[in-house]
Order: sequence, then structure tokens, then C-alpha cells
Amino acid sequence: MTAAVTIEKFTSLTPSEFFYRNKEIAGFSNPSRALYQTVRELVENALDATDAHGILPVIKVSIKRDGGHEKDNIFSVTVEDNGIGIPPNHIPSAFGQLLYSSKYILRQTRGMFGLGAKMAVLYGQVTTGKPVEVISAPINSRKIYYFKLRIDIKNNKPIILEKAQYSKTNDWHGTIVKVYLEGDWSRSKSKIYEYLRRTAVIAPYAELVFSDPEGNIVYFERSTNKMPPPPREVKPHPYGVDLEMMKMMLQLTTAETLLDFLVKEFQCVGEITARKILAQAGLPTDANPHKLTMEDVEKLIRTIKKFKDIKPPRANHLSYLGEEIIETGLKAILRPEFVAAVTRKPSVYEGHAFIVEVGLAYGGGIKASDRPQLLRYANKIPLLYDEGSDVSFKIVNEEIDWNYYGISFPAPLVVLVHICSTKIPYKGVGKESIADVPEIEREIIAAIREVARKLKMYLSKKRKEMEEAEKAVTIAKYIPEVAQALAKIVDNVKPEDLESRLLALLNQKLKAFKIRSVDEVVVGIE
Amino acid sequence: MALTYVSSKDLKARGRALEILRSKFGEIAKQILEGRTPIMVIKKRTLANTIFDREKGILRIGDESLRRSFLNAGEAKKFMQTVLMASIIYDTLVNNEYPTIRDLYYRGKHTIRYRKLPSKKVVEENTWDEQKESDSVIRDIEVFIDMLREELLILSKEKGKVVGNMRIRSGDDMIDLSKMGHGAYAIEPTPDFIEFVDIDAEYVLVIEKDAVFQQLHRAGFWKKYKVILVTSAGQPDRATRRFVRRLNEELGLPIYVLTDADPYGWYIYSVFKVGSITLSYESERLATPKSKFLGVSMVDIFGSKKLGKKPYLTEAERKNFIIKAKDKDIKRAKELMNYSWFRTKRWEHEIEIFLSKKAKLEIEALTSKGLRFLMDKYIPEKIETGDWID
Repeated sequence: MTAAVTIEKFTSLTPSEFFYRNKEIAGFSNPSRALYQTVRELVENALDATDAHGILPVIKVSIKRDGGHEKDNIFSVTVEDNGIGIPPNHIPSAFGQLLYSSKYILRQTRGMFGLGAKMAVLYGQVTTGKPVEVISAPINSRKIYYFKLRIDIKNNKPIILEKAQYSKTNDWHGTIVKVYLEGDWSRSKSKIYEYLRRTAVIAPYAELVFSDPEGNIVYFERSTNKMPPPPREVKPHPYGVDLEMMKMMLQLTTAETLLDFLVKEFQCVGEITARKILAQAGLPTDANPHKLTMEDVEKLIRTIKKFKDIKPPRANHLSYLGEEIIETGLKAILRPEFVAAVTRKPSVYEGHAFIVEVGLAYGGGIKASDRPQLLRYANKIPLLYDEGSDVSFKIVNEEIDWNYYGISFPAPLVVLVHICSTKIPYKGVGKESIADVPEIEREIIAAIREVARKLKMYLSKKRKEMEEAEKAVTIAKYIPEVAQALAKIVDNVKPEDLESRLLALLNQKLKAFKIRSVDEVVVGIE
Repeated sequence: MALTYVSSKDLKARGRALEILRSKFGEIAKQILEGRTPIMVIKKRTLANTIFDREKGILRIGDESLRRSFLNAGEAKKFMQTVLMASIIYDTLVNNEYPTIRDLYYRGKHTIRYRKLPSKKVVEENTWDEQKESDSVIRDIEVFIDMLREELLILSKEKGKVVGNMRIRSGDDMIDLSKMGHGAYAIEPTPDFIEFVDIDAEYVLVIEKDAVFQQLHRAGFWKKYKVILVTSAGQPDRATRRFVRRLNEELGLPIYVLTDADPYGWYIYSVFKVGSITLSYESERLATPKSKFLGVSMVDIFGSKKLGKKPYLTEAERKNFIIKAKDKDIKRAKELMNYSWFRTKRWEHEIEIFLSKKAKLEIEALTSKGLRFLMDKYIPEKIETGDWID
């Protein structure tokens, strides 16, 4: 939405021209970043085409060096999904027209700006001159469609270069997108791998295959069939609408009166509330929404911001992951010895509903580090850059007293923070770090404390177990010796009987720990 | 080490020991098989649990017991060591062996290889590392089964020696203690198996120092004064103490003890007389409450106005022979003052002189004054005049 607003200020530029000149806003600032961003945009589209529709994702990503060029830094990025596919009449616009899907209906999806893959197409086209290739088979369709497209930058329109359709011979559905672009594999390699790894953590229900330009193939296997609830579309809450958005909504609405507009286009606004708002703003209920003056729009916004009687925004449309999925993902990818997750109850900041989820993983396959390793996500998108300026970074490094929870660094600790909201309060244009919004900060701290308490309990139980195990061994190691010696002195007593009895007696005394057999402890007597 | 010849006395002792071991450790096995925590109740061998029995004049072990439970992490090793040692002793009894405590130490010393949990790291531990660990366990077994090591046919190093006009039977041999040449008869580790055949003596003189014993022996002191001459060569071992006790108890001979004039000498005397703290459970058999401290006393060195006694040494001799007491001697003397069996007027007087003069003296100093002085004046005169501490 922010982007849409910004564009309006540059009316002389088409959206495609604007974005081309301001590539860094969408994350395409240089060949290394562009390659990473392309993978990311296509993978996120692929996930949106699957899990948001109840399909267990199978996603194949391939980056190849494209031969036959003068430059050796041209790559093709191909991403295939098993999603719902795209109807053929939408494909040209979906890939060849920026801001095509922009609507003021809010739905929490991964794609940024509603730009999705289009920036990648645009960047690829400009750096390599090559068109994008799209193959898609919509679900329930009997055809497979093929398009070769480029973007008419000046007019922000798709140009169809080739187009074909085939009959399906099986029931495959999904989309394959292939983009050519100038990239820098060696510089983006670690980020791309890290991105996929973090995606695998948060989407353990997905099957991910990646083949890189060096011929390596990485496979992230599906570790659960449980998926998060799909996000649902929701109308904006009055508190969350700013001036520019209000103007756009007023323009696009089908309502004929202002009263109708408020009731129809916003959540939590009924007729009574709407009348009160309008009365307070001094606006007629039957005014034509399309014909409000700038002054009236500002009056309406001001009134709404001051108006206290609107119910807080609903959060049932938010697609959180849930504790089980976070725990499964952390376990599958990090192989920790301990994992715990919490999904907080929905909360609100500035008229936007949000949910904070936190996962903790400790020990096992995690390497110790001097500070908590942070995995940040916003609306299921891994955030890799600008970690130091993120609110979560500040919290895990400054707000939480890890010593209190029995952890002293260096320690093998991973903290996952997921924020889902219809509007993520990003810091800056890069959209890679989240701002210090007090409501969100509070929720993150509460969530971390909740899981950290579980970790504390686990650690103290483990410590007790270790102490007990140590104690048990100091006794168990002598069992064979005692049994042999007693059996030698006392008639008709077998050492095996004494041994098993002594072990049983010892185990009876132990609480958290048992020794299965004496052989577990005693290796030999020489 | 099985012997072709086995004495019938020994055989009988072995049978009894085996039976007691079986019964005491059978109880432990029974506890285990019945699902109860195996616990050994053993009387404590500590100073606090050592009682001075004034009536009998000996040290006894008190009634305080320690309960050694195998399932207590702090006691498990001691428990294991005790049972292990018992099984080794059992073996030696069955096989007609006569082990020394050193033998027992080696026989029981082996390595347990075990895994630490949860790390599973394999580490090694010895059943015991030093002999003092196995020695301590032997003492525990003696107390636990209420039998002495001699009754278990465990030998200790022979240290004590005896000469005198006396014939004894040891094993199947007759030994004449007046015909030992320049040597002496080494008191065997199982003095209870010695049979006194005949004797011609008026008293027994026990000397701490082996060197002084040899000088008196060569000078014919025991012949001239009809004395059974014994040396403990330092701290007395059990056999020497038992032997002296039998001389007193069975033959009615008075026992006089001659030691260095210092707290260590005094303690050696008290071990003969009342028993020792670590072996208080054995005093009943080993102590000789009627033994008397002949010297060398502080009064012998410095004289005493309080007792109206003149010293045996001149001022000049004192200057030559006296050794300055060290801090640890002073400390030891103060410890002795706390032992109830040293709380007599005469002993307090001794210790007071010692603490004020801070001086000690070796018996050898008296031989330096002249062996004749020691054997013909000092000893006979003190015995004749009853100049001893009881």
C-alpha cells in the first residue's frame, strides 16, 4: 500500500519506470542482491500459490549459469511449484504489469508491494534482454499454458512474444517460471542458502529442492503434513487507514453514499458507528464518496483517529504458523536437543492486528555462539538483512536476561521470531528489519520470556538428571564387584541375582534417570 | 602358598573365621535379595568414639556406629572395598594361606573400567590405590565381624623382639629365648599360638629403642637381673602388645616400660598400657593396664621440688643431652593433656615440666652417661624404690 501511495506522487512515471529507476526499494540494487531477491520473490509466490490454498508445497528451485553469452554472469532462475496455477488470461499481467494485483482489500501474503516476480522480470529483461518464460496449469484445467513475455516499460504493459497451450496428459497443476538475469552467484550464494534454510524452518510442510550453479543439489524434506490455516481476505480497520489510502478507497468504492462506504468497506464499522463518525466529522451521510473534497477527506481521517468507540481489529484473518509447525521446523532443520514455541494471542498496533510467534531451539546440532542466533520472519518471509536494527535483535541482546534462564554465552541458542500482520512496520525502504513499535516489542518480550521459562525448566531438569546420573554411576560401577565378592563368601547365591537386585534397588532410588543394565556403566574389570 | 603342613590350631581358627564371615556377609546378601538397601553397621573408630574405661584401665570402642549403605554415593566405594576385602580374606582362609596386609592390598587392587553417564566417556578407577585404604578396610572388617586379624590368620611385619630366660613352643618347635646369641626372638604375628613352657624372671622390661635393647642384651643385663627384655622398636605392633599382655596376665610378671622422654615416648607407653585410639576395639586383648612407666621421666632429668626428687643428670649433662622440643612436640603434648588416661596428677606434672622446659631427651643419652649407669644404677634403683609412674 505504501508503494501505491508513493507512486501517485510521481505521476509522470509509470510504475515500471519508477521501479526501474528505484531498484533498491524492491531489493534489486546490485547483481548479487538481485539474484537473491529473484529467488526469494519466485519462491514466495510459489508458497503463496500452494499453502495459502491448502496444497502441501513441492517447490523446485534451480539456478544455472546461462552459456552462450559474452558475459559469464548471466543466470537463469527457474522455480516450479505444484500450486493452483494461474488462469491463462491473467498470466501476461501477472508477470508483465507492475501493481496489477493491487487492491485495497488486505490479505496477509508473502509478496511485497504486490510486485512479486514482476520486479525480477523487469530487472532480468533490462540486464539480459531476455524475456520471462511461464508455464502454468491451473487446478481443474485440462490445459497447460505457455507464455514468453516482456514488459513494455514505458507503458507498464505486458508484451506477449510467444504463447501456446497443450492438453494435459496427467493431473499436474502448478506454475514454472524461468527468469534470466545478471547476477553474482559467489556473492549471493551464502544468502540464498541461508534464505532457503530459513524458509525450510518455517515451512516444514514444504518439500524444497534446490540445484545451484555449481551442480550441488540440496533437498529439504517435508517433516509434517500439517499446514498453517490459509490467510483470509479482510477489509481494512478504520484506525489503520491513512490519508492516501482513504483517497484511493473512496475512488474505488462502489458505494453510493458516505454512510454506505464506511459500513461496506471497513471492518468493525456498523451503521450506528458510521453515523456517529460522520456526525462528529460534520459530513452528510448521503455525500457521494467519489466527490469528497481534500478537506473533507482530511476531516474524516482526523475524526476516525480520535474516535474511541470502534472495536479493535479482528485477527482471525491472520495466518500464523502455530506452535507445532515452528517446533517441527526447528527440529527438522537444526536438530536441537530442546525446542519450544509459542503463538501469542492477537494484538493491535495503530489499527493493525498482529500476532507474534517465538520459537526457541537449544543444544544438539546447534553450534554455540556468543549471542543468540536470531531467525527473523515477517509474514512467513525470512528477513536476512539489517539484523542489527531489528526490534528483535535489540530484545534478544539487551532486554532479555538470559542468565536468569540458566544460559550463559557462548551457548547453542536459536531464537525464532515471527510477526504476522496485515501491515508489518518495516524500518526503511529495504523492508528487511522491523521497527521498534512498543506494542510489538512488548509482545515479543512476553513471547520470548514464555518459551525461555520452558527452556529454563528443561535445563534445570537436565542438570538434575546429570547430577543424578553421575551419582548413579558412582554406585553402579561397583555393583559387579560387590556381587562377585558377596557370592564368593555366601553359599548358594548367584552373582547375577545380586547384580540385578542391586541395580533394581539403585533404580528405585533414582527419580529422573534409570540405568538399563550394569553393562551400560561397567565396561570391564581388570 | 598352600602349606603341606597345617597346624591343627590354625585349622580350627580358620573354620571359625569362615563361619563368622559367612554369617555376617550372608546378612548383607539377604538384605539385597529381599530388596532392602544393603547396610553394614560398623562401630566408629574415632577419638570421639573411644572411651577410657577407668575400671579396667583400658581404651574401649564406644557404641557409636556408622551405617555404611551401598546406595549412598559417598559410601558406595568403601562398601565395595569392605566386601571385596572380606572375599579376599575368605579366599585366603579357605586356601590355608597366611597373607600379610600388603598381600591383601595387592590381591584386591584391580581396575574398574566404566562409562561416565551421560557422556559415555570410558574412565578407569582402581578398587584402591594406596595400602592405607585397604588397611583401613581390614580394620573395619575386624570391627564389623568382631574378630581380630590374627584370628583371621593375617600376618603383619614382625618388629618386636624378646630375649630372656624363657622357653616357648611356637608351631611345633621348642625355642629357648636364652639361647639367641647376639640376636633375639622375633615375636611372631600370632602370639596367641605361642605356648609358654617355662620361665625364670622377675619382671619384664619393654624398651622403645631397639639400639638400647641390643646394648642391654649384649651386656648381659637380662641374665644379671632376671629380666625378660622386650623391644617394640618404635610404635608397638599388635603382636608385641599381645605378647607383653600375656606375660603379665598369664605369668604375673610386672611390666616396666622405658621410652624416650617426649610425648611420643609417653604415647608408646600408653599404647602398651591402655591401648590405641585407632585399635581401641582390640584393647581388651592387647592392653596391659598394669604396665608401669619406668622412664625416662622429666623428673629424672630435672628433679622435682614438688616430689622432693633429685635429678639423675647434672647441670652439665643436661646441657649436653637435652634436645630442644619442636613445635609439633609441644602440640602433641597438649593433645595428650586432653586424653583422659593422661589426666592424673603425676602425668600432669610430667607434661607441665615438659611444657615449661621445652626439652626432650632420648634413652640413648643415658647410655652416653654410661651403659653401666643405665643397667646397674638407673633401672635397678628406680625399680627398687618404686620410682615409676603408674
